[in-house]
Amino acid sequence: MERIEADMNTALMVDGNAVAGELQRIFGRDMTMAVARCAGCANEAEMGALMAFTRGPGVVLRCPACQAAIARIVETPSAIYLEARGATYLRLAAQS
Amino acid sequence: MQPLIEWQAGTVTEIRPETPQTKSFTLALPKWTAHRPGQHYDVRLTAPDGYQTQRSYSIASAPEQVGELELTVERIPDGEVSPYLHDVLVPGDQLEVRGPIGGYFVWEVGLGGPLLLVAGGSGIVPLMAMLRHRAAQRATLPARLLYSSRVPDGVIYRSELVQLSDRDHALELFFTFTRQAPEGWTGYRRRIDEAMLTEVIRPFEERARVYVCGPTLLVETVANALVRMGLPTELIRTERFGPTGS
Amino acid sequence: MPLRYTIQPVAGFISRGFLGRRRPAEVENRLPPGQYLVTDFPVLSAGPTPHTPLDRWSFTIEGLVQSPVTWSWDEFQKLPTQTVTVDISCVTKWTKLDTKWRGVTFDTLLQAVQVEPTAHYVMAYSDGGYTTNLPLDEMVNGQAFVAYEFDGKPLAPEHGGPARLVVPHLYFWKSAKWIRGLRLMERNAPGFWESLGYHIHGDPWKEERYSGD
Repeated sequence: MERIEADMNTALMVDGNAVAGELQRIFGRDMTMAVARCAGCANEAEMGALMAFTRGPGVVLRCPACQAAIARIVETPSAIYLEARGATYLRLAAQS
Repeated sequence: MQPLIEWQAGTVTEIRPETPQTKSFTLALPKWTAHRPGQHYDVRLTAPDGYQTQRSYSIASAPEQVGELELTVERIPDGEVSPYLHDVLVPGDQLEVRGPIGGYFVWEVGLGGPLLLVAGGSGIVPLMAMLRHRAAQRATLPARLLYSSRVPDGVIYRSELVQLSDRDHALELFFTFTRQAPEGWTGYRRRIDEAMLTEVIRPFEERARVYVCGPTLLVETVANALVRMGLPTELIRTERFGPTGS
Repeated sequence: MPLRYTIQPVAGFISRGFLGRRRPAEVENRLPPGQYLVTDFPVLSAGPTPHTPLDRWSFTIEGLVQSPVTWSWDEFQKLPTQTVTVDISCVTKWTKLDTKWRGVTFDTLLQAVQVEPTAHYVMAYSDGGYTTNLPLDEMVNGQAFVAYEFDGKPLAPEHGGPARLVVPHLYFWKSAKWIRGLRLMERNAPGFWESLGYHIHGDPWKEERYSGD
């Protein structure tokens, strides 16, 4: 991989796609194509396209338009916490 | 649709060096399911004291390679998982994996084209799965790969890519070298920029399905340039590797 | 309310030849339980790195004080500093020994305000919206400081610069990066991670990682 002179600002960020496994385990289906509507700016984006900050005590998914936190995931030995008050809704395609 | 994904122990059947920094690992999986090109698997290591660590790696193989999974992994010197895979793992070992995962960064022949793939470094891996799938399906839709490497021996899958392109005139390759180009190289010698993207995408008249994978900053640059060039955002799919991908 | 899900039990698989991380014998007594030694300085972040210009940066103590006080960057630089060398432990299981910081102790900052007797807790808040809560009596007597130098150099943005809180006796998520102020409170209230499964207190020697630990 190329080492581009990095502003750590962007270099620390990956896509929501990177946490597809955690999301799939929580929801029991692929969530990367589910659309999240930002409660702050009303932007809609697939969860796979959200900004993901995975290097911390938990995962923070942020709106690609306004950077507000859309959802947070914390995994403890006994539970998974999912908080999504930054999303007005998640829209999932009906499963056939 | 994917049901619950579970960890399973795959058996390493082959380890193949690709470049000085990358190796491909072929695993036989007891519960293999066909993936979609572009998806990844999670790999988990467990130490005797119970310590666990986990990383995601893109699938390099095509779903047509039934029963097996190929992951291509770059060795990150101060990483935790990739040095284990490169230095410790041998054929016959078992490796815990779960997948396939992700439905966002995927392309199948059925989605159509033309197809523009843009890779930086080991970002080629999920795009290779797409090209192998395209070849296995004998698809003829136009495809172009723009692949940025620092140095000539950092190009992963070079001979296979050249073979694929020689056999199939609808697949065209564009390499660029950012640090050192091969001797006599007449192609691109710089980081991917808007001018380069404009040249590569020209015959597609800005209607291509675009998949961009590589370091975060390369992906940002390419995605922003494509949007400025007028490509519809819904046709652009990106996958950022983050700071290390270790 | 956050949703809760039960994790499936872990299988008994061991990766041949994988030793995990290390607890070297010579420093083992300095590593809290469940922690591993690192020599690099991992960067952990919940959001984009803010880049507040120093001429727009300020630091405020507010809440249960008689009147709040705010320092500009230049004013903050004129406060007396201390240099400390401390071990830090992150809840993601790494411990880094002998980290050297320069900054202003919480005690020094408190001299500028008159604390109400009802104040017992502190909420630290940062650029980008991050918050973390601490007991007031665990910040006084040199236990907490606002640092703007690491290893003799200005604190790098990815490590919390221009200034971060450092409370070395608690897990490092309590040491808020990009800190902009402290709000004194009567009752304890959870911050960014404490409200989502992490321990309200976070003492690494008691392994207070998660709520319920």
